[in-house]
Order: sequence, then structure tokens, then C-alpha cells
Amino acid sequence: MITYAYYPGCVAQESGKELDNATKYIASKLDLNLIPMPEASCCGGGVIDGFDKNLKLFINGRTLALAEKEGLDIMTICNTCTLTLSEVNEELINNPESLEKTNEYLAKIGLKYTGKVKVKHILYAVRDDIGFDKLKEKAVKSLKGIKIAPFYGCHILRPSSAVKFDDVENPQGFEELIKALGGEPVSYARRTKCCGFQTILVNESTSTSLAGNAIYEAQEKEADVMVTPCPLCHLSLDTYQTVAAKNINKKLSLPILHLPQLIGIALGADYAEMGFSRHNVSLRGVMAKVRQNEI
Amino acid sequence: MEFKVRAYRFNPETDEKPYYKEYTAEDYPGMTVLNALIKIKSELDGTLSFRRSCRSAICGSCAMKINGITKLACKTQVSLEIDKFGIINVEPLANMPVIRDLIVDQEVFFDKIKAIKPYLLGQREDAAHNRFKTLKEGEKISQPVYDKSEFKNLTGNEDTPNCILCECCYSECGGVVGNKNYLGPAALAKLYRYAEDPRDNDKNGSRLVNGSKPNGFWDCVHCQSCEQFCPKGISPVKSIVRLHEKSVKNSITFSPGSKHVVSIARSIGETGRLDEIKVAFESGGVTGLLNDLPVAFGAGLKGKIPPLRHKLIKDMEDIRLAYKELDLEDKL
Repeated sequence: MITYAYYPGCVAQESGKELDNATKYIASKLDLNLIPMPEASCCGGGVIDGFDKNLKLFINGRTLALAEKEGLDIMTICNTCTLTLSEVNEELINNPESLEKTNEYLAKIGLKYTGKVKVKHILYAVRDDIGFDKLKEKAVKSLKGIKIAPFYGCHILRPSSAVKFDDVENPQGFEELIKALGGEPVSYARRTKCCGFQTILVNESTSTSLAGNAIYEAQEKEADVMVTPCPLCHLSLDTYQTVAAKNINKKLSLPILHLPQLIGIALGADYAEMGFSRHNVSLRGVMAKVRQNEI
Repeated sequence: MEFKVRAYRFNPETDEKPYYKEYTAEDYPGMTVLNALIKIKSELDGTLSFRRSCRSAICGSCAMKINGITKLACKTQVSLEIDKFGIINVEPLANMPVIRDLIVDQEVFFDKIKAIKPYLLGQREDAAHNRFKTLKEGEKISQPVYDKSEFKNLTGNEDTPNCILCECCYSECGGVVGNKNYLGPAALAKLYRYAEDPRDNDKNGSRLVNGSKPNGFWDCVHCQSCEQFCPKGISPVKSIVRLHEKSVKNSITFSPGSKHVVSIARSIGETGRLDEIKVAFESGGVTGLLNDLPVAFGAGLKGKIPPLRHKLIKDMEDIRLAYKELDLEDKL
């Protein structure tokens, strides 16, 4: 059994609760022991350094120190949480001044950080720690015949000085996972581009045009479904899909899965267990196809 | 080794639409994509058009998309691209209109650089700064902006003033893809460079005020592409975030972007969590809320409703202490 300190981030505990549930479902099937972190705070949503860069260091340094105290690495399920924690980790490991300043604060709350924690997104925890062979073994449904468009988004790949899981120019982790589950990865240019979420409340037109064009391109490549490793991308791609369609003046109707839901389907989860009723674009068509694919 | 180059071709005067033409070339150790293009132009097809000059990654002329990513052709090894992609696909920079083949019209890009006033504003009133003096032999001109730790700490280089205006960041920028009027990473990194220059005499904070307006630094989508793909190791996005921080600290918070950041900080300071409803309301105000109502209603029908009241995280006093230690309580 592999044990991680589990950092779901805020959205997966609020409007994206189905992601948290799907993660716990697959963890139980894959012998992944996820230890909750009730003391952990929000990472700052990828923008907190625009308020104060030291605040980003302190609150995320505290999260890292909490995991280090338990002797655990952190597993994330959100791209932005992954990047923020990874950036702070890099800063604390490589900049003694930042580490000293952060540890002065941490000492006042009974914590200390020495740089031992690794931050890993679930996509790469599955690839590196569980392995695709074991995943294949545990799968009870094949995704054969389903064209799946992987949408990496930004913060799981860039900047590669902080997140170092995959080849930033031509990542393959997602495609390998889809193939391991029997699915057919769809190749399209916008798979590593931005979903626009960070400006969704600031400049909705910019934001939804980015999401809309990614969905449209995947649709044009005949994808049955798109999968994202990030709940923020999911909000842009699924919840805002109707707005995006109107903004780019194209017909869009592509179901969007959270990554753990894709794995969950292959592990035998049903519609209700994966919380598909919470999605804006229906998953019924995809699930009907999967149902025919007994292994 | 023989390899293929697939080049984007388009001459608006004669072609109805763009097309791709394939060439075969012979590799040699250390061959760059620019070497390959020059060889093709001189030996196979003199009509293939592209900008180039220094061949040393300092003039920025030969920026283009190579296998989908914007790079300097003179700094990109053929062998590495072939190992990874099996071919050299070359296309013009994105986010700018094509003049011919791999040459784009840079006017909009440079208009945006001009728009941020890339020069020192006014004269400082203290006499020492305005006095010209003859340098002694061997004496160096003091350039305060290069000495600032702000610039050194962004990516570990003395970086922001080192921009070569190659447009790699602009071509990869998600913000410009979504909004062609967005100033873009190069112009905003330059804005930061001037906003931090101790010789600049921006008495009324016009740089931060103008940069906070629509199409300015709050429209950055944080895609990190500008940092990732800058051939000189500069991080425009980190400069942009420093502009955000500088604006908030100077109470220039009229834009939805700044309200968004302050609201997230407030939410974390109150509960340790991000309160989605509150942040949406505080970022966009009543207009924003009305605009988002159909989306919120649709999501609500599906049960995607965040809690109205948030439980505090365990040991919330730790987070409060962080705000207190950093003297941030009055900024919330």
C-alpha cells in the first residue's frame, strides 16, 4: 500500500465534490492510502503571490511542513495546487533566505520544514507509484473504441522548473494512461494549452474562448469525451461550456471527465458513484459505450 | 542523416490559402533549424521566406514555431527535434498576421511595447540624478535597474532587462490568443522593468493605473507559457505577478482582477479556504454576479453548489498568524 498526505484543494471539496469522491473511490481500489490534511489551507488559487509573495511562501510552506511532520509526500488532484506547492517547495529548497524566513514563522506554530516532501499529481502518482500494469490488472471495463481527448492544461506541465513530471513539449503521461485503459487518445494541438480559468471572473470572454476552442478542436477530431487532471479546467470546460459555445459561435457538446472518473469507470464504478449527474454535459452516451465493453 | 522539413508556405499575393511544402535535407553535427532553412533556401527553394540575422540567439529575428512550439531557429538543434518528433515542422509565429511564409507582421507587437511607454518618465527633482558627469577612465556607468534584487530573483538571472523582443512569449501567450488586445508578456515585463526603475519619475502611479485597465496586466491567464518558452530565461509572468502585488500594495484596486486577488486573500484569511461564491461576487460585483447567474443556476440544478458557510480549517489561528506576521491584516 502506498501512502500519501492527500491535498484535494478547495474546488474538489466544494463545487467539484464529485472529483474528491472519484479520487477516494479509485484510491480504495488501487491500494492508495490517502491521509487527510484537515489543517491544510487553500494554496492561494495560483494568484496569492499577486497579493503578497511571502504569504504564498508561509501558507504553502506550512502545508509542506505538515506533510513532512508525518513523513509523507503530498498527492494533489488539481493542477494549480500542484504548481503552487511545487513552486514553493523549489523556492524553499533552493533559497536559504526564503527557507529561513518561512521557518521563523513555522517555528511560532510548532512546525519546521527541511525540504523533504515531494509533491505529486495523481496522474503521475498512478504512473510512477502504482504503475499502468497494475492499473490494467485491476480494470474491469475496457475503454476500447472510445476516443478520449486528454486536456493537460498548464500547471501540471509549466513551468518545468517547478513541475517536472513530463516532457513539457510533448507530454505522454496522459496518453499512456488512456492506452493502458484500452482507450484511444485523440491527438490535438490544444491539449497542452490554457483553459482560461484564471481569468474566468475577470475577463470571461478571453477565458471562455480558450476553453471553447480547445473543446471545438477535440470535437473536430471526433473525440467522444475530454478528460482533465484539474478541477479548475473542468469548471471552464464543462460548467462554462454553454457560455463558451456562444462566445466562439460554435456548437459544442463534449462531455468532460475528471481524470479519476476516467480511471473509476475502468475500475467498474457506475454513473452515480462517479457523480456524473453533477456534470453540465451528459456522460450517458460515453457510459453506454463503456457498458458494452466487458473485459 | 537525412531528415524532412515541412514548411508553412503562404504568399497572400498569389496563394488562396496557406499550404505546407516538404523538403529533404542532410543533417550534420550541431546543425540548427536555421542552418537547415538557410541550406534549403540556397540549394532547394529560393522562394522560402524567413527572417534571420545574427545566428547567435541575440537578435531575436528567427523566432518561429518549430514542431508546434515557438523557438529561435538558430538556437534549436535539428537532431533533438528529430529525436522527439521525427520531423521539423516550421510555421510562422502565432498571434500575428502572416506577411509571407514564416514572416509575420510585427506592428501590433511593437505598438503594444510603445503603449507601455518604454522610457523613463519625467525628471527626478533631486539634483544628483540629473547631473551629467564625465566618466573617469575605466569607470562603469551605474545602471541601478540591473542591480535590483527584484530582477535577479525572478528566474535566477538578471533577467527582465535582457529581453531581445523576439516575440516567442507573445506567440505562445494564452492571454493574447483569447484577447488580441491584451498587451502580452513582453510589453508587461517591460512595464514592470520601468515601474521598478529608481530613475523613473512616475509621480502619480500612472504605470500601475494604466496597466490595471482592461487589456493590461490583470488579463494574464497565468498559463506560464511565456516563462517556459522564453529563449533568454526571462519570466514575464513573474514580472506580471509583481505588478499585481505592487498595485495591491499601492491600493490600486479598481479592476476586477485586483478585487479577485484581494478577495481570495480575504477568504483564506477568514476560513483558510477559498469561498467560491464570495470570491465570484467580490470579483465581479453585482454586474458580474448577474452575468454569471445562468451558469450558477445551471450548476445549481446539477447540485454543484459550494457551501454558503465554510467551516474553518483545523488550527486556523496558524493562518491568522501568517497574515499578522506579514502585516497584511489592513489589506484585507
